[in-house]
Amino acid sequence: MIKYLLKRLFWMVPLLVGISLVSFLIMHLAPGDITTTEAGFNPKASEESRQKLREIYNLDKPITVQYGLWLKRMATLDFGTSFASHQRPVFWEKTDQQGNVSKGLIQEALPITLLINVLSLTVIIAVALPLGIVSALTQNRPPDRAITLFVFIGFAIPGFWLALVLMYWTGVVNSWLPISGLHSLQYDQMHWLGKIADTLKHLALPVFISSLSGLAGIALFVRNGMLDVLHQDYITTARAKGLPENSVVYRHALRNALLPLITIFGLSIPGLIGGSVIAESIFAIPGMGKLFYDAVLMRDFPVIMGILTIGSALTLLGNLLADLAYAWADPRVRRGVLK
Amino acid sequence: MRSHSTPSVCALLALSLLLNACGQPETSPKTDLDRPYPSEAGGTQIDAMPAEPSGLIAMIAGESAASAVASNLFNSLLKYDKNLELVGELAQSWQISDDQKTITFTLKPDMKWSDGKPLTSADVLFTWKVVTDENTRTPYGADYKLVKQAETPDALTFRVSYEQPYAPALDTWAGLQILPKHLLEGQDINTTAFARKPVGSHYYQLQEWRNGERISLTRNPNATQGQANIERLVSRFIPDAASQFLELLADNIDLMNLNPIQYARIVPARPELQQKLGLYKELGNSYTYMGFNLKHKPFDDIRVRQAINYAIDKQEIIDGVLLGLGEPVASPYKPGTRWSNPALKPYPYDVARALSLLKEAGYQDHDGDGILDRDGKPLSFEILTNQNKQREMAAVLIQRRLKEIGIDASIRVLEWASFVGRYIKTGDFDVVVLGWSLSLDPDQYGIWHSSQQQPGQFNFIGYNNPRVDELLERGRFELDPDKRQTIYHEFASLLLQDSPIVYLFAGYGLPAIHKRIKGIDNPAPPAGIGHNAYEWYIPRPLRRNEIAVE
Amino acid sequence: MIRRLFKHPALANPLAMVGFIIIASIMLLALLAPLIAPYDPNAIDVKAILLEPSAAHWMGTDGLGRDVFSRMLYGARISLLVGIVAVGIATGIGIVLGALSGYYRGWMDVVIMRLVDVMLSIPTFFLILAVIAFLTPSIWNIMIVIGLTSWMGVTRLVRAEFLSLREREFVMASQTLGAKDGRLIFLHLLPNSLTPVIVSSVLGVASAVLVESGLSFLGLGVQAPQASWGNILTDGKEYIQFAWWLSLFPGLAILITVLGYNLLGEGLRDALDPRTAGNQAR
Repeated sequence: MIKYLLKRLFWMVPLLVGISLVSFLIMHLAPGDITTTEAGFNPKASEESRQKLREIYNLDKPITVQYGLWLKRMATLDFGTSFASHQRPVFWEKTDQQGNVSKGLIQEALPITLLINVLSLTVIIAVALPLGIVSALTQNRPPDRAITLFVFIGFAIPGFWLALVLMYWTGVVNSWLPISGLHSLQYDQMHWLGKIADTLKHLALPVFISSLSGLAGIALFVRNGMLDVLHQDYITTARAKGLPENSVVYRHALRNALLPLITIFGLSIPGLIGGSVIAESIFAIPGMGKLFYDAVLMRDFPVIMGILTIGSALTLLGNLLADLAYAWADPRVRRGVLK
Repeated sequence: MRSHSTPSVCALLALSLLLNACGQPETSPKTDLDRPYPSEAGGTQIDAMPAEPSGLIAMIAGESAASAVASNLFNSLLKYDKNLELVGELAQSWQISDDQKTITFTLKPDMKWSDGKPLTSADVLFTWKVVTDENTRTPYGADYKLVKQAETPDALTFRVSYEQPYAPALDTWAGLQILPKHLLEGQDINTTAFARKPVGSHYYQLQEWRNGERISLTRNPNATQGQANIERLVSRFIPDAASQFLELLADNIDLMNLNPIQYARIVPARPELQQKLGLYKELGNSYTYMGFNLKHKPFDDIRVRQAINYAIDKQEIIDGVLLGLGEPVASPYKPGTRWSNPALKPYPYDVARALSLLKEAGYQDHDGDGILDRDGKPLSFEILTNQNKQREMAAVLIQRRLKEIGIDASIRVLEWASFVGRYIKTGDFDVVVLGWSLSLDPDQYGIWHSSQQQPGQFNFIGYNNPRVDELLERGRFELDPDKRQTIYHEFASLLLQDSPIVYLFAGYGLPAIHKRIKGIDNPAPPAGIGHNAYEWYIPRPLRRNEIAVE
Repeated sequence: MIRRLFKHPALANPLAMVGFIIIASIMLLALLAPLIAPYDPNAIDVKAILLEPSAAHWMGTDGLGRDVFSRMLYGARISLLVGIVAVGIATGIGIVLGALSGYYRGWMDVVIMRLVDVMLSIPTFFLILAVIAFLTPSIWNIMIVIGLTSWMGVTRLVRAEFLSLREREFVMASQTLGAKDGRLIFLHLLPNSLTPVIVSSVLGVASAVLVESGLSFLGLGVQAPQASWGNILTDGKEYIQFAWWLSLFPGLAILITVLGYNLLGEGLRDALDPRTAGNQAR
């Protein structure tokens, strides 16, 4: 097991190098010199930020040296400070001489996005699992068809459109849920239970919207996995032995059908992080997506690079955890039969 | 204010139901919004802004979100009153020397910062030093660097001397927010933590700044200009305009600028909205134009420019894009102000004139393909604009009118950063549809003087007229308003004649304000609806149910 | 191949059939747009701003008085084009890299698979957003960027097919008979591994259409005045409760199209995949 873990960790190194290469390429995508595209009209400020860019990314040095230095920054998680005039650190808080703490941009945004993602994944599992199972058990019969159609519609609705309709319905026509934002004005005066309820109410719609598109994939995956397993020999054997159908389905089939789900979840992390841009802008939630989108519009390169790198590293971490969980759950891997 | 259940009960209810919110701002339908209420202090006003300020020192942050909040926190020496006349704010009075090179400001006595420390001329001098310091990253330094000498003979006197008389000087002192020396001295103004926990002297002080969510201000007990009525101002950051409008409909924000469709079509058609929203109208100090790159052929030819001007139907654009909620413009000044030359009229929509001018310039449809051409080259170009609904729509209307007379224009809409970085700064464009926001001083040296054409400077269309250069130079040194008026009237008429840009329109700002807010001047005076925001009040019966702030 | 596809029981699957009909009719409408559209999609009428749907304007008019129905028809061309070309690019790259990887194996395989892993770990939508913003959004850039960021699935599929096909007798036989690599790849391996690629491409078009509408919402999609479903929908978002026709029709169009592609894709998968196809006969 330890050996497996070490091996996996070792394999992450070339991936991280690859990620650094891709993000380095993107930074150099802007035609000519990346220092010509910063926002604003102000000649003085632009010369200044241009100079700063040159310093930070060593643009006067040969491209290989530049890349080496970029690698070093990545390795030390030092993404510098934002180009915006607040000049906050990109990743983690810094304290100045007077003892004022300046929070990192990613440090503040990441927990919010993670919270939404964890909630979304929970919703997806809670809904997709039963749907997939029912669908598989009623293959090609009306319930299966209805479920398939339902999850596809969920996938196919343009998220921001549904979001606005729901905001109108639950926030304006009926005052059931807040429309946008993360906390009520009275948040600080609330009891801790009230605070949790308040946050959950604010997150209800965003989580619903961001879990919709993932739902279809997982439900179908469960369905097809179940079908696969249900037609395998050992299930037929189990049936032939006269085991009750429930036990066949839930004890034997489901467990095996669910194993690959772990991997799928690992793979779905980048989609969830990336998909947050639209939901976060509509619902005015200060997470990673909105941070990234603003940075792109402002050509705030340090923030863009920081988010791409951290986002990718998180995905790798997620995949690693998924693989470990898989290894732990699958006795064959655990015993080292499979590599 | 504790009419509702206690927070924890409310929370339990909310948890168990996750439905109807407790303490949800729900003004009962029986409350009469329209009857008169006496003025009283207190209450919370909530608005929305699309972006979060990067800091609250306006000269450093630079963006409009920062200015909007900072203008409630800091004072300047002077301000514009409701009729756009300069009056004192921190200054009680000011004198201009006979040679017109020295201005002496006398401050009001006994002023304090919100932390209780005295506000004196030393703070003003300090702010001037900051804004002119080479290390200060501000785009606004240039005006203040013209000051040759600044001094503080005593705690209430601040004196500045200029090399030459500088006409926009007073305007610049209405634009510089005075910062507290005792908190900022010795700090790096660009990175100081003060920008996120400012101490000012105006009606409000910072109560809370929740990153990415909102800024709350509360009344400043030491305010230098007296006490405002409304106790708390909250600005929520809501990037999406559609979400903002929903928040307005749900009574969660009190004011928002509407677009013409919302203003002219949606609200009037819904009695329930009309009942609770007051609609206002104010002419902003900005205009939208179509500008030619005068360094590119064929726009170096005045006949082509004038022809295109004649071929564009401005009234149609005002009706179509703004639903009539705009004014035609013929000079680069706000219509109705003294600087705007009333004798000037926009180019009328006149296809025959346009065609004959083009023919004079050599453009005719020689090859019969429906597009005018000269020397075998068709008259076609690209109109660039940024992602601004009104500019996009104007461009579409222009494109169609030009096509009718045989000019082939295509449209490209760009996101702002690449638009400025890739096209404006490099001068790589034919025609742009853009807008100018102007200061209240008539000086427009930066936009039209031929020396201001470097990359990143504002005369990016390459306008060059020696007579205009001369007028702009003279206007900067002339302090007599009447003489200045003559100068700028002539300048505007030359500009109209040259047609380096086609004026399209000046649009109205269209604020919708919840009727719970009283004391608003309607119709808006020249300075706009917000000029007396400190007098606005929210009568107690109309307030949201707020959990008391203890 | 195509013939086999049509004879296949795939189309006996009712959902797939529904998907097929939806896609075919929308494509037909898009192709015939100039014939069907009652108005010029860009014709402005300032006297007919925001009219409700009526006999004259089936889907009403937008904020400039343009006929929404005509714009929808022309928008269909753009939206479908974006989806199909983007997926074409992705599939092309995926097939080439997958074939190289699966056929030659060794270091080539290692490098290509690592590249796939790298691309899969970067949040795709972030990547698209950054690249499009830097290159300035245009319909071509959007198609290329979506294509360049979505080839990884196809690569894996083709590689897996190649790996398993290589071991089959007919390939081994041709190889011992001295067939050239190119001949083997194009005549034997590729045609036999296309089934899952077709399925994934059909599903890919669906995602590309959604990505374009998302980019439009953020102002980085197909730019006005060119109509795409994404930007018609975005235009209408501020009046969603009042000028409902501005957002309902493009929203539905996107929904139905994406649904169509998904039903078709999943139906094909069910029918063509030997494992699930077996289930079909249960």
